[in-house]
Amino acid sequence: MNLLERYLQAIGQYLPPATRQDILNELRVNLEAQIDDRAEELNRPLTDPELSQLLQSHGRPEVVAARYLPQRSLIGPTIFPSYLLTLRKAFPLVVLIYVIAQAISLVAEPQQGDLLRGIFRSIVQIVPTLLIFWASVTIVFAVIEFAHTRPGFDTRWLPSSKWDPTKLPALHDATNPKPKSFATRVADLGFHILWILYVLAIPAHPFLIIGPSDWYLRQLGNAAFAPAWATFYVLLLVLLGFQLITRILALNPVFDRQQPVLDLITKALGVTGTAFLASMKTYFIAASPSVNQAVLANVNHWMGVSFRILLVIVSIQLLIDAWKLLRPTLRVKSVLLF
Amino acid sequence: MDTTSNTPSEPQIFDSLRLELRRGCLIVAALAQLRSEHYGYTLRKALADQGLAIEESTLYPLLRRLETQGLLTSQWREEDKRNKRFYKLSAQGETILTHLLAEWNSINDSLHKILKTPTEA
Repeated sequence: MNLLERYLQAIGQYLPPATRQDILNELRVNLEAQIDDRAEELNRPLTDPELSQLLQSHGRPEVVAARYLPQRSLIGPTIFPSYLLTLRKAFPLVVLIYVIAQAISLVAEPQQGDLLRGIFRSIVQIVPTLLIFWASVTIVFAVIEFAHTRPGFDTRWLPSSKWDPTKLPALHDATNPKPKSFATRVADLGFHILWILYVLAIPAHPFLIIGPSDWYLRQLGNAAFAPAWATFYVLLLVLLGFQLITRILALNPVFDRQQPVLDLITKALGVTGTAFLASMKTYFIAASPSVNQAVLANVNHWMGVSFRILLVIVSIQLLIDAWKLLRPTLRVKSVLLF
Repeated sequence: MDTTSNTPSEPQIFDSLRLELRRGCLIVAALAQLRSEHYGYTLRKALADQGLAIEESTLYPLLRRLETQGLLTSQWREEDKRNKRFYKLSAQGETILTHLLAEWNSINDSLHKILKTPTEA
């Protein structure tokens, strides 16, 4: 019987003090009755291996004890769908808020160290931010889980219990591509903000744009960017500002219909910028007499040619896109005329 | 891609579905059996004798849960020189059992009707 006592002791370790003794007493009686029955069948007391086998079939102590305890999941099946829904809906918003906050911080605050290091730090720091967000949501829902098992808890306010079938998205048109998910739209906006940030940092950190060109500029002697680039920079900021507005609007699927028109306007602005680049005659100027003028003239000429070729390509592309967008409207008008 | 590698075998699927099917029935059976007083071990034996074997580790906690819900009453009493906890169906348990049996009969009837209906090709 020493084995039985040891078995009960092991079970008792996992039981709450309030009910431990009562449960163990009941278990002892039931197991003793089972042992007695078995001994009666065999017409002799059970040997230790037989008793061991009987207890083994009764179950591991921790498993047996667990069955006497209330369900111990942190978030149970009733609350879990709401928990998952909240995480899925809030995750992109958290990322968006984080990106905006980091962008403002990088632009507004004077940088300690270089900008690239600041951007890298922001990207790395999103991991603990997201972990804190996940832990906070989990704690809130664990509290809800604890509360909802109490009498009188109203689950009607949980996100998963409130929905309206009439607000479901319209059926997807098989001929059109699947609309972007909210997470993708948020990611688009986040990356665009990072891109704007990069462009805004260029005047203070020219190496961001020069990069590998630095080698070529050194070949030219002591060359510098022509003043016209400043005008192009303003045009670029206008384009980025317009794209920012379109991406913010894109967060709401209501504006999906206007998106092709907005895309076309964006491309038109891009063509305008390219046209400006193509119209520039001078891209680099001599910053000192030591510059090789022949090479500089050659570079300016071929850059002009490159931008003019690029202008032709993007213009044709813009016309094709405009035709694709306007074709259905023109077709309807021609049908109505006939 | 091989989709069968993670699929449970036929006996595994059967065992899992059988367990689900039996779970509710065992509660009804235990309540019905406790119209007469039993302690844990004799209840288990009585159910097993009538073809409804149930593991001790499942039955004993179940009895305490049903008691917490007010469907059973219990009392410690000495029998054969041992203190035992005897369970019996409470008045509330009697009412719930009646409803559960009606539900079970209704499911049983529906299932029989479905099984008798010829399947469409």
